[in-house]
Amino acid sequence: MARHNLYDSEDEISEKTPKIPFRHLKSFFLEVSLITSFSFEFFRQLFRKGFEFSETAKQSYKIGYNSLPLVAITGFIMGLVLTMQSQPTLKNFGAEAWLPAMVGVSLIREIGPVITALICAGKSGSGIGAELASMKVTEQIDAMEVSGTNPFKYLVVTRVVASMLMIPVLAVFADAIGIFGSYIGVNLYGDISFRLFIVQVFEKVEFMDIFPAFIKTFFFGFAIGIIGTYKGYNAENGTEGVGYSANSSVVIASLLIFIIDLMAVQITSLFSY
Amino acid sequence: MKTQTGNKLKLGVFVTLGILLFIIGIYFVGKKQNLFDTTFGLRAVFKDVSGLQPGNNVRFAGINVGIIDNITILNDTSVRVDMQIQQDVKKFIKSDSRAVIGSEGIMGNKILIITPGSSGRIVKSNAFIATTAPINMDDILKNLKTTIENAAVITEDFSKITQSISSGKGTVGKLFMDSSFAKDVDQTVTNVKKGTQGFQENMEAAKSNILLRGFFRKKEKAKQEQQKENEAAKDSTSKTKKRRK
Repeated sequence: MARHNLYDSEDEISEKTPKIPFRHLKSFFLEVSLITSFSFEFFRQLFRKGFEFSETAKQSYKIGYNSLPLVAITGFIMGLVLTMQSQPTLKNFGAEAWLPAMVGVSLIREIGPVITALICAGKSGSGIGAELASMKVTEQIDAMEVSGTNPFKYLVVTRVVASMLMIPVLAVFADAIGIFGSYIGVNLYGDISFRLFIVQVFEKVEFMDIFPAFIKTFFFGFAIGIIGTYKGYNAENGTEGVGYSANSSVVIASLLIFIIDLMAVQITSLFSY
Repeated sequence: MKTQTGNKLKLGVFVTLGILLFIIGIYFVGKKQNLFDTTFGLRAVFKDVSGLQPGNNVRFAGINVGIIDNITILNDTSVRVDMQIQQDVKKFIKSDSRAVIGSEGIMGNKILIITPGSSGRIVKSNAFIATTAPINMDDILKNLKTTIENAAVITEDFSKITQSISSGKGTVGKLFMDSSFAKDVDQTVTNVKKGTQGFQENMEAAKSNILLRGFFRKKEKAKQEQQKENEAAKDSTSKTKKRRK
Protein backbone atom coordinates (compact mmCIF):
# COMPACT_ATOMS: atom_id res chain seq x y z
CA MET A 1 0.00 0.00 0.00
CA ALA A 2 2.78 2.30 0.97
CA ARG A 3 4.61 1.36 -2.17
CA HIS A 4 1.64 2.15 -4.29
CA ASN A 5 1.38 5.55 -2.69
CA LEU A 6 5.04 6.18 -3.39
CA TYR A 7 4.54 5.45 -7.05
CA ASP A 8 1.47 7.57 -7.11
CA SER A 9 3.24 10.56 -5.64
CA GLU A 10 6.20 10.11 -7.94
CA ASP A 11 3.89 10.07 -10.90
CA GLU A 12 2.29 13.19 -9.61
CA ILE A 13 5.66 14.93 -9.25
CA SER A 14 6.90 13.91 -12.69
CA GLU A 15 3.68 15.19 -14.15
CA LYS A 16 3.96 18.51 -12.36
CA THR A 17 7.73 19.05 -12.50
CA PRO A 18 7.81 20.95 -15.80
CA LYS A 19 5.10 23.22 -14.52
CA ILE A 20 6.93 24.26 -11.35
CA PRO A 21 9.24 26.89 -12.96
CA PHE A 22 6.26 28.38 -14.78
CA ARG A 23 4.26 28.44 -11.58
CA HIS A 24 7.15 30.33 -9.95
CA LEU A 25 7.43 32.66 -12.91
CA LYS A 26 3.70 33.28 -12.76
CA SER A 27 3.84 34.19 -9.08
CA PHE A 28 6.91 36.32 -9.76
CA PHE A 29 5.19 38.35 -12.45
CA LEU A 30 2.10 38.62 -10.30
CA GLU A 31 4.24 39.95 -7.45
CA VAL A 32 5.93 42.46 -9.77
CA SER A 33 2.60 43.71 -11.04
CA LEU A 34 1.22 44.03 -7.50
CA ILE A 35 4.31 45.93 -6.30
CA THR A 36 4.08 48.22 -9.34
CA SER A 37 0.44 49.02 -8.76
CA PHE A 38 1.22 49.50 -5.05
CA SER A 39 3.90 52.03 -6.08
CA PHE A 40 1.46 53.84 -8.35
CA GLU A 41 -1.01 53.94 -5.50
CA PHE A 42 1.74 55.44 -3.32
CA PHE A 43 2.39 58.27 -5.79
CA ARG A 44 -1.35 58.86 -6.22
CA GLN A 45 -1.81 59.13 -2.47
CA LEU A 46 1.38 61.18 -2.04
CA PHE A 47 0.07 64.04 -4.17
CA ARG A 48 -3.37 64.06 -2.60
CA LYS A 49 -3.82 66.84 -0.10
CA GLY A 50 -3.52 66.17 3.59
CA PHE A 51 0.07 65.05 4.01
CA GLU A 52 0.83 63.58 7.44
CA PHE A 53 3.82 65.72 8.34
CA SER A 54 3.96 64.82 12.00
CA GLU A 55 3.74 61.08 11.35
CA THR A 56 6.40 61.36 8.62
CA ALA A 57 8.71 63.14 11.04
CA LYS A 58 8.12 60.40 13.60
CA GLN A 59 8.93 57.71 11.04
CA SER A 60 11.97 59.67 9.89
CA TYR A 61 13.20 59.69 13.45
CA LYS A 62 12.73 55.94 13.66
CA ILE A 63 14.30 55.13 10.30
CA GLY A 64 16.97 57.81 10.26
CA TYR A 65 18.10 58.80 13.70
CA ASN A 66 17.75 55.36 15.25
CA SER A 67 19.78 53.73 12.49
CA LEU A 68 22.63 56.22 12.81
CA PRO A 69 24.74 54.28 15.37
CA LEU A 70 24.54 51.11 13.30
CA VAL A 71 25.33 52.92 10.05
CA ALA A 72 28.15 54.87 11.70
CA ILE A 73 29.85 51.76 13.06
CA THR A 74 29.47 49.93 9.75
CA GLY A 75 30.77 52.91 7.78
CA PHE A 76 33.74 53.32 10.10
CA ILE A 77 34.66 49.65 9.83
CA MET A 78 34.23 49.65 6.05
CA GLY A 79 36.57 52.63 5.66
CA LEU A 80 39.13 51.10 7.99
CA VAL A 81 39.00 47.63 6.47
CA LEU A 82 39.06 48.89 2.89
CA THR A 83 42.18 50.91 3.67
CA MET A 84 43.90 48.05 5.44
CA GLN A 85 43.04 45.62 2.65
CA SER A 86 44.21 47.85 -0.21
CA GLN A 87 47.35 49.12 1.49
CA PRO A 88 49.63 46.07 0.80
CA THR A 89 48.63 45.93 -2.88
CA LEU A 90 49.12 49.64 -3.44
CA LYS A 91 52.43 49.43 -1.58
CA ASN A 92 53.62 46.82 -4.09
CA PHE A 93 52.93 49.29 -6.87
CA GLY A 94 54.57 52.09 -4.93
CA ALA A 95 51.28 53.98 -5.11
CA GLU A 96 50.55 54.39 -1.40
CA ALA A 97 49.87 58.07 -2.01
CA TRP A 98 46.76 57.03 -3.94
CA LEU A 99 45.30 55.15 -1.00
CA PRO A 100 43.12 58.03 0.31
CA ALA A 101 41.84 58.85 -3.17
CA MET A 102 41.03 55.23 -3.93
CA VAL A 103 39.22 54.65 -0.64
CA GLY A 104 37.41 57.99 -0.93
CA VAL A 105 36.13 57.29 -4.42
CA SER A 106 35.05 53.74 -3.64
CA LEU A 107 33.32 54.81 -0.41
CA ILE A 108 31.46 57.71 -1.99
CA ARG A 109 30.55 55.94 -5.20
CA GLU A 110 29.59 52.52 -4.02
CA ILE A 111 30.27 51.26 -0.53
CA GLY A 112 28.71 54.09 1.47
CA PRO A 113 25.33 54.11 -0.31
CA VAL A 114 25.00 50.35 -0.75
CA ILE A 115 26.09 49.35 2.76
CA THR A 116 23.80 51.99 4.25
CA ALA A 117 20.90 50.77 2.13
CA LEU A 118 21.50 47.14 3.05
CA ILE A 119 21.77 47.93 6.76
CA CYS A 120 18.56 49.94 6.57
CA ALA A 121 16.82 47.22 4.58
CA GLY A 122 17.73 44.87 7.42
CA LYS A 123 16.83 47.21 10.24
CA SER A 124 14.07 49.52 8.98
CA GLY A 125 12.69 47.37 6.14
CA SER A 126 12.03 44.41 8.39
CA GLY A 127 10.67 46.75 11.06
CA ILE A 128 8.21 48.34 8.65
CA GLY A 129 7.18 44.94 7.28
CA ALA A 130 6.63 43.42 10.71
CA GLU A 131 4.83 46.46 12.10
CA LEU A 132 2.37 46.79 9.23
CA ALA A 133 1.89 43.03 9.01
CA SER A 134 0.96 42.77 12.69
CA MET A 135 -1.44 45.70 12.23
CA LYS A 136 -2.94 43.94 9.22
CA VAL A 137 -3.41 40.53 10.86
CA THR A 138 -4.89 42.09 14.00
CA GLU A 139 -7.24 44.00 11.68
CA GLN A 140 -6.08 47.41 12.92
CA ILE A 141 -5.79 48.60 9.35
CA ASP A 142 -9.41 47.67 8.69
CA ALA A 143 -10.37 49.45 11.88
CA MET A 144 -8.60 52.60 10.69
CA GLU A 145 -10.48 52.46 7.44
CA VAL A 146 -13.75 52.16 9.30
CA SER A 147 -12.89 55.08 11.56
CA GLY A 148 -12.46 57.31 8.51
CA THR A 149 -8.64 57.64 8.45
CA ASN A 150 -6.94 56.78 5.18
CA PRO A 151 -4.66 53.92 6.29
CA PHE A 152 -2.63 53.99 3.09
CA LYS A 153 -1.85 57.65 3.57
CA TYR A 154 -1.17 57.35 7.26
CA LEU A 155 0.85 54.13 7.21
CA VAL A 156 2.38 53.67 3.78
CA VAL A 157 3.05 57.15 2.42
CA THR A 158 4.65 58.39 5.62
CA ARG A 159 7.01 55.43 5.89
CA VAL A 160 8.06 55.42 2.25
CA VAL A 161 8.67 59.18 2.24
CA ALA A 162 10.61 58.91 5.50
CA SER A 163 12.85 56.16 4.19
CA MET A 164 13.35 58.00 0.87
CA LEU A 165 14.52 61.08 2.73
CA MET A 166 16.53 59.38 5.45
CA ILE A 167 18.63 56.88 3.47
CA PRO A 168 20.49 59.67 1.58
CA VAL A 169 21.27 61.45 4.86
CA LEU A 170 22.46 58.21 6.42
CA ALA A 171 24.59 57.50 3.35
CA VAL A 172 26.26 60.90 3.72
CA PHE A 173 27.04 60.06 7.33
CA ALA A 174 28.36 56.64 6.30
CA ASP A 175 30.63 58.28 3.71
CA ALA A 176 31.97 60.86 6.14
CA ILE A 177 32.55 58.38 8.94
CA GLY A 178 34.00 55.85 6.49
CA ILE A 179 36.51 58.44 5.27
CA PHE A 180 37.42 59.15 8.88
CA GLY A 181 37.88 55.40 9.43
CA SER A 182 40.11 55.32 6.38
CA TYR A 183 42.18 58.14 7.86
CA ILE A 184 42.78 56.03 10.94
CA GLY A 185 43.60 53.05 8.70
CA VAL A 186 46.18 55.07 6.76
CA ASN A 187 47.73 56.22 10.02
CA LEU A 188 48.22 52.63 11.15
CA TYR A 189 50.92 52.27 8.49
CA GLY A 190 52.35 55.71 8.15
CA ASP A 191 51.95 59.22 9.41
CA ILE A 192 49.80 61.60 7.39
CA SER A 193 48.17 64.82 8.49
CA PHE A 194 44.39 65.03 8.36
CA ARG A 195 44.56 68.00 6.03
CA LEU A 196 46.77 66.21 3.50
CA PHE A 197 44.50 63.18 3.76
CA ILE A 198 41.39 65.24 2.97
CA VAL A 199 43.17 66.96 0.09
CA GLN A 200 44.21 63.58 -1.30
CA VAL A 201 40.70 62.16 -0.92
CA PHE A 202 39.06 65.03 -2.77
CA GLU A 203 41.83 65.18 -5.37
CA LYS A 204 40.20 62.36 -7.27
CA VAL A 205 36.54 62.79 -6.26
CA GLU A 206 34.47 64.44 -8.96
CA PHE A 207 30.87 65.64 -9.10
CA MET A 208 30.17 62.63 -11.25
CA ASP A 209 31.10 60.51 -8.22
CA ILE A 210 28.96 62.37 -5.70
CA PHE A 211 25.70 63.10 -7.51
CA PRO A 212 24.84 59.73 -9.06
CA ALA A 213 25.68 58.09 -5.73
CA PHE A 214 23.48 60.60 -3.91
CA ILE A 215 20.59 60.24 -6.33
CA LYS A 216 20.61 56.46 -6.20
CA THR A 217 20.22 56.51 -2.41
CA PHE A 218 16.75 58.04 -2.91
CA PHE A 219 15.84 55.02 -5.01
CA PHE A 220 17.34 52.71 -2.40
CA GLY A 221 15.17 54.41 0.21
CA PHE A 222 12.13 54.12 -2.02
CA ALA A 223 12.78 50.39 -2.56
CA ILE A 224 13.17 49.74 1.18
CA GLY A 225 10.03 51.69 2.05
CA ILE A 226 7.80 50.39 -0.73
CA ILE A 227 8.75 46.71 -0.27
CA GLY A 228 8.44 46.90 3.52
CA THR A 229 5.02 48.54 3.38
CA TYR A 230 3.80 46.32 0.53
CA LYS A 231 4.76 43.14 2.35
CA GLY A 232 3.26 44.38 5.59
CA TYR A 233 0.12 45.79 4.04
CA ASN A 234 -0.63 42.52 2.25
CA ALA A 235 0.26 40.15 5.11
CA GLU A 236 -1.86 37.03 5.51
CA ASN A 237 -2.06 33.91 7.67
CA GLY A 238 -1.97 35.50 11.11
CA THR A 239 1.20 35.54 13.21
CA GLU A 240 3.03 33.34 10.75
CA GLY A 241 2.41 35.98 8.09
CA VAL A 242 4.10 38.65 10.22
CA GLY A 243 7.39 36.72 10.24
CA TYR A 244 7.07 36.01 6.55
CA SER A 245 6.44 39.69 5.76
CA ALA A 246 9.44 40.86 7.78
CA ASN A 247 11.68 38.25 6.20
CA SER A 248 10.60 38.68 2.58
CA SER A 249 10.67 42.48 2.77
CA VAL A 250 14.37 42.32 3.74
CA VAL A 251 15.21 39.78 1.04
CA ILE A 252 13.38 41.54 -1.78
CA ALA A 253 14.54 45.01 -0.73
CA SER A 254 18.18 43.85 -0.63
CA LEU A 255 17.85 42.29 -4.05
CA LEU A 256 16.20 45.43 -5.42
CA ILE A 257 19.01 47.55 -3.99
CA PHE A 258 21.55 45.59 -6.01
CA ILE A 259 19.42 45.77 -9.16
CA ILE A 260 19.01 49.55 -8.75
CA ASP A 261 22.76 49.80 -8.17
CA LEU A 262 23.41 47.94 -11.40
CA MET A 263 21.06 50.24 -13.30
CA ALA A 264 22.63 53.30 -11.66
CA VAL A 265 26.14 52.34 -12.76
CA GLN A 266 24.91 51.79 -16.31
CA ILE A 267 23.20 55.18 -16.42
CA THR A 268 26.20 56.90 -14.82
CA SER A 269 28.65 55.46 -17.32
CA LEU A 270 26.29 56.53 -20.08
CA PHE A 271 26.59 60.15 -18.97
CA SER A 272 30.26 60.29 -18.06
CA TYR A 273 31.62 59.31 -21.48
CA MET B 1 4.46 65.01 24.05
CA LYS B 2 7.73 66.12 25.58
CA THR B 3 9.64 63.12 24.22
CA GLN B 4 8.11 63.72 20.80
CA THR B 5 9.50 67.27 20.71
CA GLY B 6 12.84 65.86 21.85
CA ASN B 7 12.74 63.33 19.05
CA LYS B 8 11.91 66.02 16.54
CA LEU B 9 14.85 68.06 17.80
CA LYS B 10 17.18 65.06 17.44
CA LEU B 11 15.84 64.44 13.93
CA GLY B 12 16.44 68.09 13.07
CA VAL B 13 20.04 67.96 14.31
CA PHE B 14 20.58 64.69 12.46
CA VAL B 15 19.26 66.00 9.14
CA THR B 16 21.07 69.34 9.46
CA LEU B 17 24.37 67.61 10.16
CA GLY B 18 23.85 65.29 7.20
CA ILE B 19 23.10 68.13 4.83
CA LEU B 20 26.05 70.10 6.21
CA LEU B 21 28.43 67.19 5.56
CA PHE B 22 27.04 66.89 2.05
CA ILE B 23 27.57 70.59 1.37
CA ILE B 24 31.12 70.39 2.73
CA GLY B 25 31.82 67.51 0.36
CA ILE B 26 30.39 69.43 -2.58
CA TYR B 27 32.41 72.47 -1.61
CA PHE B 28 35.65 70.47 -1.54
CA VAL B 29 35.00 69.01 -4.96
CA GLY B 30 33.83 72.33 -6.35
CA LYS B 31 36.85 74.15 -4.97
CA LYS B 32 39.07 71.73 -6.85
CA GLN B 33 37.18 72.40 -10.08
CA ASN B 34 37.30 76.18 -9.59
CA LEU B 35 33.52 76.42 -9.45
CA PHE B 36 33.55 78.98 -6.67
CA ASP B 37 36.55 81.00 -7.86
CA THR B 38 36.58 83.68 -10.51
CA THR B 39 38.40 82.39 -13.55
CA PHE B 40 39.55 83.60 -16.93
CA GLY B 41 39.87 81.71 -20.18
CA LEU B 42 43.03 80.81 -22.07
CA ARG B 43 43.32 78.96 -25.35
CA ALA B 44 45.97 76.95 -27.09
CA VAL B 45 46.07 75.04 -30.35
CA PHE B 46 47.83 71.69 -30.47
CA LYS B 47 48.48 69.30 -33.29
CA ASP B 48 48.01 66.35 -30.94
CA VAL B 49 46.69 66.48 -27.38
CA SER B 50 47.81 62.89 -26.59
CA GLY B 51 44.83 61.94 -24.47
CA LEU B 52 44.15 65.22 -22.65
CA GLN B 53 40.53 65.36 -21.44
CA PRO B 54 38.20 68.11 -20.24
CA GLY B 55 38.63 68.36 -16.47
CA ASN B 56 42.36 67.65 -16.48
CA ASN B 57 44.47 70.00 -14.39
CA VAL B 58 46.39 72.98 -15.69
CA ARG B 59 49.68 73.63 -13.92
CA PHE B 60 51.75 76.75 -13.66
CA ALA B 61 55.01 76.63 -11.72
CA GLY B 62 54.03 73.20 -10.43
CA ILE B 63 50.74 74.37 -8.90
CA ASN B 64 47.30 73.36 -10.10
CA VAL B 65 45.81 76.67 -11.19
CA GLY B 66 42.94 75.59 -13.38
CA ILE B 67 41.28 72.93 -15.47
CA ILE B 68 40.75 72.05 -19.09
CA ASP B 69 37.32 73.34 -19.98
CA ASN B 70 36.82 72.09 -23.48
CA ILE B 71 38.65 70.36 -26.31
CA THR B 72 37.42 70.90 -29.85
CA ILE B 73 38.88 69.61 -33.07
CA LEU B 74 39.34 72.42 -35.61
CA ASN B 75 40.70 70.47 -38.56
CA ASP B 76 42.90 67.46 -39.23
CA THR B 77 46.04 69.09 -37.86
CA SER B 78 44.80 71.30 -35.05
CA VAL B 79 42.90 70.81 -31.81
CA ARG B 80 41.83 73.78 -29.72
CA VAL B 81 42.11 73.43 -25.95
CA ASP B 82 40.16 75.88 -23.77
CA MET B 83 41.34 76.34 -20.20
CA GLN B 84 39.83 77.98 -17.14
CA ILE B 85 42.54 79.53 -14.97
CA GLN B 86 42.16 81.17 -11.57
CA GLN B 87 41.99 84.94 -11.84
CA ASP B 88 44.63 85.53 -9.16
CA VAL B 89 47.42 83.82 -11.11
CA LYS B 90 46.71 85.85 -14.26
CA LYS B 91 49.31 88.47 -13.33
CA PHE B 92 52.07 85.83 -13.42
CA ILE B 93 51.28 84.44 -16.86
CA LYS B 94 53.07 86.43 -19.55
CA SER B 95 51.91 86.74 -23.13
CA ASP B 96 54.78 84.60 -24.42
CA SER B 97 54.13 81.71 -22.04
CA ARG B 98 53.91 78.33 -23.70
CA ALA B 99 51.58 75.41 -23.10
CA VAL B 100 52.97 71.88 -22.98
CA ILE B 101 51.11 68.63 -22.39
CA GLY B 102 52.68 66.47 -19.73
CA SER B 103 51.54 63.73 -17.39
CA GLU B 104 51.43 63.04 -13.67
CA GLY B 105 53.92 60.23 -13.45
CA ILE B 106 53.93 57.26 -15.78
CA MET B 107 50.42 56.03 -15.05
CA GLY B 108 48.87 59.34 -14.04
CA ASN B 109 46.47 61.67 -15.77
CA LYS B 110 47.51 64.04 -18.51
CA ILE B 111 48.09 67.64 -17.44
CA LEU B 112 48.63 70.88 -19.28
CA ILE B 113 51.71 72.76 -18.11
CA ILE B 114 52.06 76.49 -18.73
CA THR B 115 55.73 77.46 -18.79
CA PRO B 116 56.47 81.00 -17.61
CA GLY B 117 57.29 83.60 -20.26
CA SER B 118 59.79 86.43 -20.18
CA SER B 119 58.01 89.37 -21.82
CA GLY B 120 56.69 92.21 -19.70
CA ARG B 121 53.13 91.98 -20.95
CA ILE B 122 50.53 89.97 -19.05
CA VAL B 123 48.39 87.57 -21.01
CA LYS B 124 44.90 88.73 -22.03
CA SER B 125 41.70 86.83 -21.26
CA ASN B 126 40.68 84.27 -23.88
CA ALA B 127 43.99 84.82 -25.70
CA PHE B 128 45.79 82.09 -27.58
CA ILE B 129 49.16 81.10 -26.18
CA ALA B 130 51.93 79.32 -28.04
CA THR B 131 52.34 75.59 -27.64
CA THR B 132 55.16 73.12 -27.68
CA ALA B 133 54.42 69.77 -29.28
CA PRO B 134 54.26 67.04 -26.67
CA ILE B 135 56.89 64.34 -26.77
CA ASN B 136 55.35 61.31 -28.35
CA MET B 137 56.26 57.90 -27.01
CA ASP B 138 56.43 56.53 -30.58
CA ASP B 139 58.96 59.19 -31.58
CA ILE B 140 61.09 58.30 -28.57
CA LEU B 141 61.00 54.66 -29.56
CA LYS B 142 61.92 55.54 -33.17
CA ASN B 143 64.92 57.55 -32.02
CA LEU B 144 65.86 54.81 -29.65
CA LYS B 145 65.90 52.36 -32.54
CA THR B 146 68.47 54.37 -34.53
CA THR B 147 70.55 54.78 -31.37
CA ILE B 148 70.56 51.06 -30.84
CA GLU B 149 71.52 50.43 -34.47
CA ASN B 150 74.42 52.87 -34.18
CA ALA B 151 75.50 51.22 -30.97
CA ALA B 152 75.52 47.86 -32.72
CA VAL B 153 77.84 49.20 -35.45
CA ILE B 154 80.13 50.80 -32.88
CA THR B 155 80.45 47.70 -30.76
CA GLU B 156 81.20 45.64 -33.88
CA ASP B 157 84.05 47.98 -34.85
CA PHE B 158 85.31 47.96 -31.30
CA SER B 159 85.41 44.20 -31.19
CA LYS B 160 87.46 44.21 -34.44
CA ILE B 161 89.94 46.67 -32.90
CA THR B 162 90.37 44.69 -29.72
CA GLN B 163 90.84 41.57 -31.79
CA SER B 164 93.66 43.12 -33.84
CA ILE B 165 95.25 44.49 -30.66
CA SER B 166 95.24 41.11 -29.00
CA SER B 167 96.80 39.55 -32.09
CA GLY B 168 99.56 42.22 -32.07
CA LYS B 169 98.64 43.99 -35.32
CA GLY B 170 99.13 47.76 -35.81
CA THR B 171 100.93 50.31 -33.64
CA VAL B 172 98.78 49.88 -30.55
CA GLY B 173 98.90 46.12 -30.95
CA LYS B 174 102.69 46.25 -31.01
CA LEU B 175 102.71 48.52 -27.95
CA PHE B 176 100.69 46.00 -25.97
CA MET B 177 101.92 42.72 -27.37
CA ASP B 178 105.55 43.14 -28.64
CA SER B 179 108.21 42.69 -25.92
CA SER B 180 110.99 44.16 -28.15
CA PHE B 181 109.32 47.56 -27.82
CA ALA B 182 109.75 47.44 -24.04
CA LYS B 183 113.44 46.62 -24.50
CA ASP B 184 113.85 49.61 -26.84
CA VAL B 185 112.22 51.89 -24.24
CA ASP B 186 114.58 50.54 -21.59
CA GLN B 187 117.61 51.26 -23.82
CA THR B 188 116.35 54.80 -24.51
CA VAL B 189 116.06 55.55 -20.77
CA THR B 190 119.63 54.35 -20.22
CA ASN B 191 120.86 56.59 -23.06
CA VAL B 192 119.05 59.60 -21.61
CA LYS B 193 120.66 58.98 -18.22
CA LYS B 194 124.11 58.90 -19.80
CA GLY B 195 123.36 62.07 -21.76
CA THR B 196 122.33 64.10 -18.68
CA GLN B 197 125.44 62.98 -16.79
CA GLY B 198 127.65 64.23 -19.67
CA PHE B 199 125.73 67.55 -19.71
CA GLN B 200 126.36 68.11 -16.00
CA GLU B 201 130.13 67.56 -16.51
CA ASN B 202 130.10 70.04 -19.37
CA MET B 203 128.45 72.66 -17.14
CA GLU B 204 131.03 72.23 -14.39
CA ALA B 205 133.72 72.71 -16.96
CA ALA B 206 132.05 75.87 -18.26
CA LYS B 207 131.97 77.42 -14.77
CA SER B 208 135.77 77.14 -14.46
CA ASN B 209 136.32 78.51 -17.98
CA ILE B 210 137.92 81.98 -18.08
CA LEU B 211 135.43 83.50 -20.41
CA LEU B 212 132.44 82.56 -18.34
CA ARG B 213 133.92 82.83 -14.84
CA GLY B 214 133.10 86.58 -14.53
CA PHE B 215 129.44 85.98 -15.28
CA PHE B 216 129.11 83.28 -12.64
CA ARG B 217 130.91 85.38 -9.99
CA LYS B 218 128.64 88.37 -10.60
CA LYS B 219 125.67 86.14 -10.17
CA GLU B 220 127.00 84.85 -6.84
CA LYS B 221 127.70 88.36 -5.52
CA ALA B 222 124.23 89.55 -6.38
CA LYS B 223 122.86 86.58 -4.53
CA GLN B 224 124.87 87.37 -1.38
CA GLU B 225 123.84 91.02 -1.40
CA GLN B 226 120.25 90.02 -1.72
CA GLN B 227 120.65 87.75 1.27
CA LYS B 228 122.23 90.51 3.38
CA GLU B 229 119.47 92.93 2.55
CA ASN B 230 116.92 90.37 3.52
CA GLU B 231 118.57 89.76 6.84
CA ALA B 232 118.81 93.51 7.57
CA ALA B 233 115.12 93.92 6.83
CA LYS B 234 114.31 91.05 9.11
CA ASP B 235 116.37 92.59 11.93
CA SER B 236 114.65 95.96 11.63
CA THR B 237 111.18 94.44 11.71
CA SER B 238 112.09 92.33 14.75
CA LYS B 239 113.43 95.44 16.50
CA THR B 240 110.27 97.42 15.84
CA LYS B 241 108.28 94.52 17.15
CA LYS B 242 110.37 94.47 20.31
CA ARG B 243 109.91 98.22 20.80
CA ARG B 244 106.23 97.90 20.53
CA LYS B 245 106.29 95.22 23.15
